[in-house]
Amino acid sequence: MTATVSDLHMSPRLLAPGGAPADLTTHEQRYGPLPYGDPAALLRAVAESGLTGRGGAAFPAHRKLAAVAEAGRRTGRAPVVVANGAESEPASRKDRTLLALSPHLVLDGLQVAARAVGAAAAYLAVEEGASYLESALAHRRDPVAVQVVRLPKRFLAGQSSALARFVGGGAALPAHQNPPVRERGVGKAPTLVQNVETLAHLALVARYGAHWFRTAGTPAQPGSALCTVHVPGYELRVVEAPFGMPLGRIVPVDGMSAVLLGGYHGAWIPAAEAAQLPLDATTTGAGVLAALPADRCGLAETARVLRYLALQSAGQCGPCLNGLPRIAAAFQTLAAPGPQGTDRADIARWAGLVEGRGACHHPDGTVRLVRSALTTFTPELDAHARGLCTATDRTPLLPVPQEH
Amino acid sequence: MTSETLWYANRATGAVCLVLFTVVVLLGIAVRLRGKIPGLPRFGTVSLHRTLSLSATAFLALHIAFAVIDSYVGISVLDVLVPFASDYQPIWLGLGTVALDLMLAVLVTSLLRARIGHRTWRAVHWLAYVSWPVALVHGIGIGTDSGTDWMTWLTVSCVAAVVAAFGIRVAHSARAARRTPAALLRTAEGARP
Repeated sequence: MTATVSDLHMSPRLLAPGGAPADLTTHEQRYGPLPYGDPAALLRAVAESGLTGRGGAAFPAHRKLAAVAEAGRRTGRAPVVVANGAESEPASRKDRTLLALSPHLVLDGLQVAARAVGAAAAYLAVEEGASYLESALAHRRDPVAVQVVRLPKRFLAGQSSALARFVGGGAALPAHQNPPVRERGVGKAPTLVQNVETLAHLALVARYGAHWFRTAGTPAQPGSALCTVHVPGYELRVVEAPFGMPLGRIVPVDGMSAVLLGGYHGAWIPAAEAAQLPLDATTTGAGVLAALPADRCGLAETARVLRYLALQSAGQCGPCLNGLPRIAAAFQTLAAPGPQGTDRADIARWAGLVEGRGACHHPDGTVRLVRSALTTFTPELDAHARGLCTATDRTPLLPVPQEH
Repeated sequence: MTSETLWYANRATGAVCLVLFTVVVLLGIAVRLRGKIPGLPRFGTVSLHRTLSLSATAFLALHIAFAVIDSYVGISVLDVLVPFASDYQPIWLGLGTVALDLMLAVLVTSLLRARIGHRTWRAVHWLAYVSWPVALVHGIGIGTDSGTDWMTWLTVSCVAAVVAAFGIRVAHSARAARRTPAALLRTAEGARP
């Protein structure tokens, strides 16, 4: 099964080879010096590269950079750049791995982004490993000073407005989308919040150009992405795969019933269907791929995740605060074999009521997971209604942080 | 205008101010509780709160103007804004001045709400809860109608209404503070076998 990983015939772009952390000397030997072109040329290169955000939303990086630079010019305030290393998604490890193995690539990208938007201040926000990154920063001579920010361990702490609020001294809670963070974020300055992996790619686009970047991936979705691959019985792996690669080559589907694609705001896909799907920025989210073996119950797994997601609601918007706990509790009933009452219909109705009605996308992502589980695990749902569960192994699979 | 006419006008506007500001406070609490006034759409509560507070302010301006013009009591323009500085009833008049100053802070921040931001506006708006009782005590202490039956009943009903509304307001916030995702999840799970 390890063959699936070595099968990726692409030399890794981001992660230091050999799995050893790269210090500044190793990093500079491998990638060469970082050229700071003029901001306009840099923005053009990013536009031509087609680089998209790797935090889950796959938003074009150059549009965000251009919008923040524009907002800075318009308001006369120097923008702020925040590298988002929150990785509050419990199933994802790629940002942590990237920061541990190639911290200087991310820090290069942070400087490039700061240069492109004309920022005066830069932050690197992480949940863990802050002192390691601070010592990495101490070795560098960066034009824009970077401050490492320690984030609380909350699912929504990495949401861009929550992050901007926290860096600005407020609570790590999502804010109203208007005005957006790119107009008014940290300290009311236009703020660029960019995932750390996106910044690492940005550092490579600045070095090697758009054409090189497009040699991996597909014309529509150029480049590669880091994926966190969960296969039961094997250690969790972070791999770099080009877009367009069939998912079946990244995660083994033999003996699997379904694959969770995109993490806890993602979707369950039947294994046979998933094997044929290409790695796609719009469905892969932040790159989480978790295989569910045929002897496990997808409903029980989903119920555990939903319970966690309901508890992680910021409690600010009524539909999310009132809806997610109800959905989670009803799903708990569906996850156990036995009478289901009106639960299936209730969940479908509540899902429609919470969708699109939050300040952030927490309810929307949760609903996506709920609906995909109801569709993918329909046969299992019917078995549960008859009082049976096809799963033989009921040990929990997907990582869910302990409640405090 | 004779001094006597001014005295009547001052007492009348004072009583009207008491009633109007009481209604404004009640409406303010209703806005916070997202209450609906019968016969009005939901946004009508906010509109009514705003409009009536402006009317109340107009009556307050008249009330102050009559007191300053009236030469029987020596109240200067300075006494209107600086508390406890007047020769006439410094304590009771001073309380009225304090209430006015707080009220002006609430009024000015509300007019500049879009400019100063929601958080500042909200912080200053809390002063309304201080201004109203201070003004009430000012009225009881300085009013020449205090002790008459109608004034006693008017005061008692206004206090009862505001105390009741404030109690509901506090209970509502306490209940909202208990509505966390974890508490709601426990309730939802508890309702199932």
